[in-house]
Amino acid sequence: MKKVLKNILDWLELKVNYADLRFVQTEEENIEAENGILSFYNISTNRGVGIRVLVNGAWGFAASNNLSRTSLLETANKALEIAQASALVKKGEVKLAPQKKHLATYITPIIKDPFRVSPSEKIDLLVKVTKAMLKDKVKKSNGSLEFIKTYKIFISTEGSEIEQTIIKSGGGIIASAIGVEDFQTRSYPSGLGGDYATCGYELIEEMKLTENAERISEEANQLLTAPPLPAGKTDIVLGGSQLALQVHESCGHPIELDRVLGKEISYAGGSFLTLDKLGHFIFGSPEVTIVADATVPRGLGTFGYDDEGVPASKTYLINKGKLEGYLMSREDAVTLGLPSNGAARAENWNRIPLVRMTNVNLLPGKLELDELIGDIKEGLYFDTNKSWSIDDKRLNFQFGTEVAREIKNGKLGRIYKNAIYQGITPKFWKSCDGISDKKYWKVWGIPDCGKGQPSQSMHVGHGTSPARFRKVKVGASQ
Amino acid sequence: MRDINSGEKLVEKISGFLKDFDYEIVAIENRSELTRFAESYIHQNVAETNLKLVIKIIDKDKIGMVTMNSIDDHTLSQNIQKAIEITKMSPKLDYGYRLVPPQRYTLKCKYSQKTAQFTPLKRAQLISQLMEKVHQRKYDTAGAFTTEENTLLVANSEGVFAFDKGTKVEFNCVITRNNSTAHCSFISAAIDDLDFERCTDELLLTASQNKNQIEIEPGVYTVILSPEAVSEILNYACYAAFNGKMIMEGQSFISNNRGKKLFPETINILDDPFEKLTMPLPCDFVGWPREKVYLVKDGIIVDGVYDHNTALKYNKKCTANTLPPEHTSSGALPFNVVMKEGDKTIEEMISSTKKGVYISRLHYVNILNPMSIQLTGMTRNGTFMIKDGEMTKAVKNMRFNTSVVDMLKAVDMISKEKKAKEGYIGPTVAPYLRTNNFTFSSNTSF
Repeated sequence: MKKVLKNILDWLELKVNYADLRFVQTEEENIEAENGILSFYNISTNRGVGIRVLVNGAWGFAASNNLSRTSLLETANKALEIAQASALVKKGEVKLAPQKKHLATYITPIIKDPFRVSPSEKIDLLVKVTKAMLKDKVKKSNGSLEFIKTYKIFISTEGSEIEQTIIKSGGGIIASAIGVEDFQTRSYPSGLGGDYATCGYELIEEMKLTENAERISEEANQLLTAPPLPAGKTDIVLGGSQLALQVHESCGHPIELDRVLGKEISYAGGSFLTLDKLGHFIFGSPEVTIVADATVPRGLGTFGYDDEGVPASKTYLINKGKLEGYLMSREDAVTLGLPSNGAARAENWNRIPLVRMTNVNLLPGKLELDELIGDIKEGLYFDTNKSWSIDDKRLNFQFGTEVAREIKNGKLGRIYKNAIYQGITPKFWKSCDGISDKKYWKVWGIPDCGKGQPSQSMHVGHGTSPARFRKVKVGASQ
Repeated sequence: MRDINSGEKLVEKISGFLKDFDYEIVAIENRSELTRFAESYIHQNVAETNLKLVIKIIDKDKIGMVTMNSIDDHTLSQNIQKAIEITKMSPKLDYGYRLVPPQRYTLKCKYSQKTAQFTPLKRAQLISQLMEKVHQRKYDTAGAFTTEENTLLVANSEGVFAFDKGTKVEFNCVITRNNSTAHCSFISAAIDDLDFERCTDELLLTASQNKNQIEIEPGVYTVILSPEAVSEILNYACYAAFNGKMIMEGQSFISNNRGKKLFPETINILDDPFEKLTMPLPCDFVGWPREKVYLVKDGIIVDGVYDHNTALKYNKKCTANTLPPEHTSSGALPFNVVMKEGDKTIEEMISSTKKGVYISRLHYVNILNPMSIQLTGMTRNGTFMIKDGEMTKAVKNMRFNTSVVDMLKAVDMISKEKKAKEGYIGPTVAPYLRTNNFTFSSNTSF
C-alpha cells in the first residue's frame, strides 16, 4: 500500500504547496449481551485513503474506499479541484507550523491480543455477568465489549513516513432496576458504555466484571427506593469517572484552539478561553493543573504521532490554575507563533484531522480520599455520569450522575437518586480545594467525543482522581 | 452500486457464498461533499466516497454479522466466512427470528440530479456571495454547506429487494458581531429549494435585534419555540419515549400512558414519511415498507415505533422502524418525525402574548429523566423577551430543565408554518409552538 501512496504523492508533489496521504485500515469486534443472552456480535473491517492538499494556500481533501491506483488518482484530482474552489474564499495563505520529517513506526504495547482471545470466551463472560445482575427489580442488564485494531500509514510531501498500529479495548456493564414509574441504572466501571484504553484484553480482565456485577445490581435496586436529591448549595466530591467528563466538557473542549478561533462556532460553539486570556487568566484554584498528554500509558488518546505527523507530546494547559496553553493543529498553532503540540486527529481515513483532545488529564493532588471526604461537614459524593450539557462557550454546565452519596461529618452515608449539579466553569474550578493523590488517579477512556462537520467521533482519555469542590448548586431531575 | 443492476449483482454474488444460510443485506453507498467556512475563509472542503455493507447470517435462532466497506471477492468471501463462524458459535436468541417476506415499495427517496452534481466551485460561489453581503454589515460568518448522494440497498434471502437513491442538501450558518449573533439552517433533497437570499436576510434581521441582551430570572415562562427548537425537543423526546423496545421494557414514559389523553387535541405527533418537507426511505433496514404511524393523536398517547426484532420478541406489529444493523440493540426510532401544524401565524402568536420569551435555537440538549421526558439544554443565537405582543429586548442565554410532557400539556397555539430540521434518519418537521409551561433553571453570561 505504501508504494501506491508514494506513487500518488510523487504525482501530486509538483502541483501543491503541501500534501499528505493517510491510509487507515480498521478491524473492530463488538459484542453485546442483554439479560444473559447474546444480543449483538459484529466484526467490522474498514479501509481507505484520505488525501489532503494545500494549493495556493487553500485546502482540499478527498477520500475514497477504492484503493486502486486509478481511483486514488481520481481522488487526488478531486482534492486538487476542491482546493481550487477553496481559493475562491480565502483571507490569506494557509500556513503550517514547521514540523520535522519523521520516519517512524509506533505500536501500542499490549499484553494480551484481544483478537486472539476466543469469541466464545468473550460471549461467555458477557452472558455470565448479565445473568448475574438480574436480581430483584433489576429486570434489564447489559454488557458490552469492543476491540479495535487500527493500522495507519501517513506520508507527506515534507518527507514523513509514519506507520502506526493502535489497539484499543473497552467494555462495561449496566444494571437497570425497573419500578412502576421509575427506573434507575448503575454502570461499571463508568457510565456511557464503560471504560476504554489503548491496551489489550488485560483491561477486560482487570475490570473484574463478574466480581462487580452483583454489587452494581444491588446498588441499582437501592436507587429505586432512594429519595431524590434535595436542592441546595453544598460541598461536593466528584468521583474519578464523573470528574473525567467534567474535565472533558469544561476544560478539554474550550481549550481546543480551533474553537477559540471561531471555526466551530456555527455548530459545536465557541470558547470563553479567548486568546487575550492566554498566560494570565485564572481558570481554577492553584490545586488545578491540567495537561494534554498523548504519551501517557494506556490513555485512550495515546498514540505515537497525530494525523498530521506530529509526535505525541505533553503540554501544560492549566498550570496551578492559570491558562497556559491550547490544544493545537499545525495550521492553528501558527496563529500563536508556536509549533503544533500534536492534537490534530482524524476519526478515520475519510475525515480530515481536526483539533481534538488527546488525554486531557487533571494531575493528582496530595490528599488521601479519607481526608478529601473527611474535611466535609455536610456534602455529597457524585459518581458515574448519566447526563451532561454545557453552553456554547462552555461556561454554564449541568451534569447528572447515577448516584449521589451523602457526606455527613466526613463520612459517606445514604444514597440519593436523580442527582444533578450545576455551575459556571471558572467559578467551579476556582472552588476546587482538594484533589486526591496518585494512587486514586486513573486515565478514563471516553470513546465517543463528537465534533466537527461532517461529524467525527473521537477516542479521548482523561486522567483524574476524585476532587473536592465547595458550595456547588445541586438538585434532582424531576 | 451505480444502478439497480449493480445492486442485484451484489446480492447475487453474496447469495453465491451463502447457499446454506438465510441472510439479510444492507448496503449504503455515499458520495458526500462539504464546505465549511469561518473567519472569512473556507477552512475545510472535503469529499468522500464510501460504502457500508452489512451482512447478517441467520441460522434458525442464531445470528452473526459482519460489516465491511469493500466488495471485492476476497473481502466478501473472508468476511462471510467470519460471519458463518460467529453464527455457529452464537447462543440462541430468546425468541424465534423470521425474515421479512418480499414486499412492494411505493415510497421513493427524493432525488435531485442537480444536487448530486453540485460542484465545490458552486458551493464556494454561493458562500462567497453570502459572506460579501454579511461582511458589509460588519458581521463574521461561519457555517457548513453539504451536498450528497446516497444509495440504499436492503435485501434478504426470502426475496426482499429494495434499491433507491436519494440526495441531500444541508446548510447552516451563524453570523456574529461581539455578542450579537443569529443562526439559520436548511435541509432538503434539492439544491433549488435553498434560498440563499432569504437565509441571508433572516440572519441579518435576527442579528440586528439580538444585541444588548438583558438577564432574566430563572422560572416558569410562557415561551414561543421556533420550528428548529421544537424539532430538537421532538428528536430527544422520541429517543427517550417512543422507542418500542424501551416501552416494552418499562423504561419509557409511554409504558404506563398508552391510550391516555394528556395533551390538547391540537397535539399530533407522528412518524410520517409522506410529509412533503421530509425525506423518506422506501423501507426500514430489514425491508418493511415505510408507513405513517401516529405517536400522539388528537392529544392522546397512541404508542411508540417498533423494530423487527422487538416486534418478533414481544409479538407486536413492526412499524417499519428497524434501525441500521449496527443499532440492532437500540430498538427503534421514528424516521420522519412530524408535528402537525396549527392555524396561527407566528405574528398572531407573538402579538397575543402578554409576557413571554421567544427561543430561536437550542444547544446541547440532553435527557435528564426519561420517565418524565425531562430535558435540559441551553438557548442560543437569539432569545427574546415578548411584552404586550411585541418582541422587545434580547435575552442572555438560559438553561432549561423542562418536562416535555408538562410543556405539551400547556401548548395553546401552533403555527400554520412548518420547517424541517435534521433528524435521526430523515428530517424532523415542526411548526412554531406556544406553551405556558417552560422552566428555565439558570442563566449564563452572554
